[in-house]
Amino acid sequence: MSKKYCEKFNIPKHLQVPLGAVLPANKKENKGMITGNWRTVRPVIDHEACTLCLNCFLFCPDATWHLDEKEEKMVWNADYCKGCLICENECPVDCISAVNELEFKGGVVRLEKPF
Amino acid sequence: MSDVYEITIWARGVVQDMEGRHMTLIMASSADKDGKFVQAWDDYADLPDRVGVPLRKYVRISDEEIEMRYEYENKNPSLVVIMDDTIVKGLNILWGMDKGGVLVVNSKRSPDEILKFIPNKDLLSKIICVDAEEEFSMEGLDFMGSEGGVEVSAVGAGISAVLAGAACHGTDNLTIDSLVAVSANKEGAKAGYESAVVKDL
Ligand code: SF4
Ligand code: SF4
Repeated sequence: MSKKYCEKFNIPKHLQVPLGAVLPANKKENKGMITGNWRTVRPVIDHEACTLCLNCFLFCPDATWHLDEKEEKMVWNADYCKGCLICENECPVDCISAVNELEFKGGVVRLEKPF
Repeated sequence: MSDVYEITIWARGVVQDMEGRHMTLIMASSADKDGKFVQAWDDYADLPDRVGVPLRKYVRISDEEIEMRYEYENKNPSLVVIMDDTIVKGLNILWGMDKGGVLVVNSKRSPDEILKFIPNKDLLSKIICVDAEEEFSMEGLDFMGSEGGVEVSAVGAGISAVLAGAACHGTDNLTIDSLVAVSANKEGAKAGYESAVVKDL
């Protein structure tokens, strides 16, 4: 977590997650490695309950979550989330729940071929 | 070349890999029993599979000897089976299909709900939905033999028989009697045939 972020959200020292390296966040998406069509369930966030702890961002293997600093809420990317639910498991306040993908009209990742 | 009836099965990687392969095997065996020429195989292009990745499996059925021996992909499927309904959002599942094809979906949902997610649904002449997990629970089955050439457990013991049973409504190339005869899960095959929701389009 950046110093700026910790100060801004008053994160106590013992909850600050040390990072091994600080790298610039991905600015580009890799459209050649879409994994959204692996998903049978999608993680749905309850923004009211979310404490912006960033656990989901840290643990997601596909870098699917990011913090919208202006809106102060987590944003999810349907093209790459593969529905592994690691984020649901890691959320300390249980504000992520799994919902079947066909409950949603959007988030369609219709590829011609599997890969 | 004779008219070859092509069936493509879409499954979720690893968790449905074995059942998907078993479905190709029981479909091919039952058509073989009916005196047809058959081929059944797993895809090479989609492997190695990982959990949840959409995979394809294929069957070919023909009245005459099938000459397309070295093509490992069905380019023109007439019947498509979707083993997990959420796959409809992720891929063009009717890829290569000519007008008049048939779609079989493993789903609790109605055919109309599934059709909403298929932009090229005008290709279909029929859609068949069956809730295979309802008819046969996969709980307690292992995934042994998921990769091997030898089947360590009975072929067609799980939801593959239920879905193949439902698929019998879609083509004359599959008959429910032969399918029941070759499947380990005979009750499941019958239940799939009986509980299938068939909608002509
Ligand atoms: S389900 Fe998995 S891939 Fe999707 S956002 Fe959560 S951790 Fe990332
Ligand atoms: S892990 Fe939970 S509480 Fe933390 S940012 Fe993600 S959704 Fe919010």
